[in-house]
Amino acid sequence: MAEFEPKILAFCCNWCSYAGADLAGVSRLQYPPNIRIIRVMCSGRVEPEFVVKALSLRADGVLILGCHIGDCHYIYGNHRTKKRMAILERILGYLGIDPARVRLEWVSASEGARFAEVVRQFTEEIKKLGPNPLKEVRA
Amino acid sequence: MIENIRDLARKWLESKEVDAIFGLKEQDGGVAPYLFTGRVNGISELGKLTTSTQYRRLCYTCRPSKDNILSLMQRREPNMKIGIVARGCEERALVELAKRGQIDLEKIKIMGIACSQEEAKECKCERPYPNNLVIGERVEGVSGDENINALLSKSLPERLAFWRHELSKCIKCYGCRDACPMCFCKDCKMEQKIFTETGSLPPEIPMFLFIRFYHISERCIGCGECEKACPVDIPLLTIFRQLRRDMKDLFDYEAGIAVEQESPLLTTLDESPMRKEVTSGV
Repeated sequence: MAEFEPKILAFCCNWCSYAGADLAGVSRLQYPPNIRIIRVMCSGRVEPEFVVKALSLRADGVLILGCHIGDCHYIYGNHRTKKRMAILERILGYLGIDPARVRLEWVSASEGARFAEVVRQFTEEIKKLGPNPLKEVRA
Repeated sequence: MIENIRDLARKWLESKEVDAIFGLKEQDGGVAPYLFTGRVNGISELGKLTTSTQYRRLCYTCRPSKDNILSLMQRREPNMKIGIVARGCEERALVELAKRGQIDLEKIKIMGIACSQEEAKECKCERPYPNNLVIGERVEGVSGDENINALLSKSLPERLAFWRHELSKCIKCYGCRDACPMCFCKDCKMEQKIFTETGSLPPEIPMFLFIRFYHISERCIGCGECEKACPVDIPLLTIFRQLRRDMKDLFDYEAGIAVEQESPLLTTLDESPMRKEVTSGV
């Protein structure tokens, strides 16, 4: 049987993380191709419902990438994200979905190498966790 | 106890401290919300003022207009001073509604009444007393919910199996949302096709109820109306109770205690407000 290749959805903020991903690309850094990027204007745009919807639609993991605290283009956008994701993690845990499938990281526009590193680590972790159990639910 | 409530209500009305008392009235063998006005017949009606644990919809939203009874009254009569007989949960609901600009608490005088031990047990209430107790004796709440402990002792796959079973019973009646005093949005995400498919049962697991779990997480006052309203007995309170604990744990926040205490989702990481202008009033 072929090795499990997870599908990972990444929400990248327009101002930092998407530019970081771009930098990783133009610097020709290698990172796993399991990731699909959705660009959002701010990580604060990512509603927890988006994450659950992604999981419900068979994503194996969801990454939310935003600017470092204090660097948000919209001043407090990432403060909101951080608080929301803390609640989201708890609820996912109670519902029986491993909170490790969702990760929030800060990646700035100059951190192309960090972007690749985050994606690499997260993909490894999701591979260890195995396929999303919600796949069965929507079979 | 009910006599004390009626006496105090009469005193408030006669001394013109309030223009009307909003409470439950015995009617046709049941109870219904009623506005006892200061007019003579309003005062004579006070003999029918009552309380009920089965029907506590005083500060709750009216469906399908999605307007809160109190905010409707306040919009129509902005200067009317309303006295309201409120249990602990109802008082917390009032505080949270005021915090979110739904009602004007300045024009409301709360008659906080304590619940008895039996009533607290019936609702599995952790806080069966209001912050400002006016009538009754404070009793300790029911702590240590066995449902929460049972859930927390399960492994992740067991929890998922449990919720798959429970949530697959959902018939999408929206009863939990309609009964919830904190659900007042005109546009409800639970009705949006982009989040949950329409035309099939059970609704998407866990998306449909997750929307409620998340949206009510930081404002849940633990009244238990959702679970009581559920026709298929989904243990919704298990998660809401636990989330109330989590809010204390994560943000040192408890819903329904003080109007000045802003929701942690509206403050920065160091708990200072994000916005200067706070919408208030009706």
